[in-house]
Amino acid sequence: MSEIVWGKEVQEALARAATGHKPVFLDFWFAG
Amino acid sequence: MNTGPYSEKKVQDYLQEEFIPVKSECFWDKRSEAMKQFGVSWTPTLLVLDATGREHHRVVGFVPSDDFLAHLKLGKAKVLFDRFRFAEAIKEFTALIEEHPTAGVAPEAIFFLGVAEYWNSHDPKGLRRALDTLVARFPQSEWTRRAAPYGQIPL
Repeated sequence: MSEIVWGKEVQEALARAATGHKPVFLDFWFAG
Repeated sequence: MNTGPYSEKKVQDYLQEEFIPVKSECFWDKRSEAMKQFGVSWTPTLLVLDATGREHHRVVGFVPSDDFLAHLKLGKAKVLFDRFRFAEAIKEFTALIEEHPTAGVAPEAIFFLGVAEYWNSHDPKGLRRALDTLVARFPQSEWTRRAAPYGQIPL
């Protein structure tokens, strides 16, 4: 397993968390 | 392309295996809806959330690579703890402390390991053991001061 596959939509990640039983890791980063 | 701590294989593997990773862009001139929703006012801010959007762990500011993986593990352990899955939380806190003994979050993990042990067994000795470990290893930590009342518990 290598590169991280980042989601871009928080709500989509939360929906996936509901079915996959994994928590969400949300990174707020400065884009400019 | 993953940079900083995200460029490390151990971080990549753990993050991908244990979490659903998502990034949210922030800009100088306008606070995003996601920033408002989660009360974010600085970057980087890293959150561990459960499926309901409830926050279980927050990190504000840069985290050195050595500490980053420990934060991920603490976040996972705190989700279990907050859900009253204490036996599983104990395993995670214990592993974190063993694998990252000098990480910045080690004192917090020791504290919560003691609390999880108490909740799991209803035996307060876990709280006292947490205090004794903190005193021995992190005498200056605030977590040691927070655990001070447990000194009343006999072993």
